[in-house]
This record gives sequence, C-alpha cells and structure tokens, in this order.
Amino acid sequence: MATDKELSDCLKSVEKRAFKRTVYAVRDEDAALDIVQDAMIRLAEKYADRPAAELPLLFQRILSNATMDWFRRQKVRNAVLQNMSDFDTDGGSEDFDLLESLESVEGMLGAESAADTVSRSQILLLIERHIEELPARQREAFLLRYWEELDTAETASVMGCSEGSVKTHCSRAVHALAKALRSKGIVP
Amino acid sequence: MAGHAPRQEALEGQFAERLTAHLNRSAQALPHDITERLRFGRERALASRRSVAFQMVTAPAVVHTGRAAALGGPPSLWLRLASSLPLVVLVAGLVFIQHHHDQQQIAVAAEIDSALLADTLPPAAYTDPGFSEFLRSGDAP
Repeated sequence: MATDKELSDCLKSVEKRAFKRTVYAVRDEDAALDIVQDAMIRLAEKYADRPAAELPLLFQRILSNATMDWFRRQKVRNAVLQNMSDFDTDGGSEDFDLLESLESVEGMLGAESAADTVSRSQILLLIERHIEELPARQREAFLLRYWEELDTAETASVMGCSEGSVKTHCSRAVHALAKALRSKGIVP
Repeated sequence: MAGHAPRQEALEGQFAERLTAHLNRSAQALPHDITERLRFGRERALASRRSVAFQMVTAPAVVHTGRAAALGGPPSLWLRLASSLPLVVLVAGLVFIQHHHDQQQIAVAAEIDSALLADTLPPAAYTDPGFSEFLRSGDAP
C-alpha cells in the first residue's frame, strides 16, 4: 500500500503533463483542471490500497476515463465518436519522407542561435495546436506512448485497445504532426 | 525490407522525442495560478484519502458495537435482559401508583365514616323523613 508521501510524489510528478494532456483534449483550462483534480481524488479514494508502483498507470487510466466522462457530460458524444473512429489518413503519407524531416532536424540542431529563442514559443504554440487537432485516439496514443513514456502494452491497457492499434495510432500521429509542421516550415 | 519497420519505428520515436521535449518545456512553464490549483487538487485528493482511511478504520468498530441494533444479529441474553428492563420498571411503577391511589381512597373514606360515627346526632335529624326511614329499615348501626 502506497504511503501518503508516495501518492503525493506520484501526483506531483504527473500533474503538469496530465493537465496539458487534458487541455489538448478538452481545450478548456478550467475544465482540464477539474478533470485532473477529479482523477486525483478518484485515485486517492478508490485505489489507496494499491502499491506505489501501480499508481502512475492507474492514474493515466482514470484520467482518460474522467476525460471521456467530461465529454459525455458536455454532450459532444458525436464529436468524440467521430474522432475515435477516425482511422482515415489523408493518403499523402506514402510520399512523405520522415527520414528527410529528421535529417533536417539534425541539420538544424547546431544552427540554433539566440535569435531563434523568441520564435521557440511560437513554434511550441503551433506544435500544441497541431497536437490538439489530431484525432482523439491518435493524440492519446502519441502522448501516452511518447510523453508519458508508457510502453506499447501499457498504452494499450490505458486506452483499452490492442497493441497493434497503439502502434498504428502513434505512427499516424507522428506522420501527421511531421507533415503539418513541415508544411509550415517548422522543424521541431 | 525486414528491417524497414523497426527503422521506421525508430525514426518515429526520435521525431516524437523532439516534439515531447518541447511539450515538457511547456509543461514546466505553466502559470503560477495553474500550478497552485494543481497543488490544491493534489492536497484535496490526499485529504480525501485520509478521510476514507479513517472511515475504514472506524466503521468496523461501530458495526461491532451496534451489531444487534444495526444489523439485526442475534442478541445475547444480557442484551435481551437489558433491553426489557425499562419495560419491567414501567409496569412496576404503574402497579405501585395504582396501589397507592387505592390506599389513599380507602383512607379518606374511612376517615369520613369514622368522623360521621363519632359525631353527636343532632335532634333535628329525627324530624328528617329520610333518617326515619333509614332507622326503620334496620340498616343503622
């Protein structure tokens, strides 16, 4: 059973990313704060007897469920379902070369100067906007897999889908983001 | 061709890593009011956990002590005796009050009778037709 300190440390380590992830999903800071707090309380009340090692994954699952509950309450089920079932790609991925994009990233690494610092926040805003615009399942898979650094099996467990679906969602999300950012001349 | 998929995955991973590095910077630079509200939420969650833990500790004791009344379990002999004691006291009290009331009425009646008998008969009583009838009937003492 996790102690109060372990639970507090766990929540402290995930709360900021959890907030941002929820903002990307619901696009409303106040609602995101409510959802994150609700998830924290659910974790603390219902899973107080679980070992500390299980808490981060449990929290991600609770947060995903809390976000879905919010969408249900907001009666935007149609929009959610549309995003959830959105497996369509735009067909342009075949001629898109991720390697080319990455090579240009490598080329840019040493070239960044102080003058670029100003535009970094603008780049970040664009990245965040494109993440928000991803289909919900792709966004969730991308953020859980790469930002929360869950492995494929854990991501599949949180999302309630197969590992194959997670890989597909992640791949499509990365390609969509790379393409969108390249079209604006942005190299992350 | 066999190595294409892992290489593609590795490239995707590298690209995602660069993006999430930006996201990390964004998350670390959250406004103060947001971080405070997150802290408040965290503390509230911890408080609710303590509250739940307290209820879990105290609830079995309450259930144990209040078993007979709350859950309808079989009460012990002493509990039965203790619960019937107020009824016994009430019945005994009512019997005592009734007995005391009867004794009082008897005492008052006896006092009136003895006062009447000990008193002297006034001469005017012999002119009362009712008293004459009473004497004739033989019921007089």
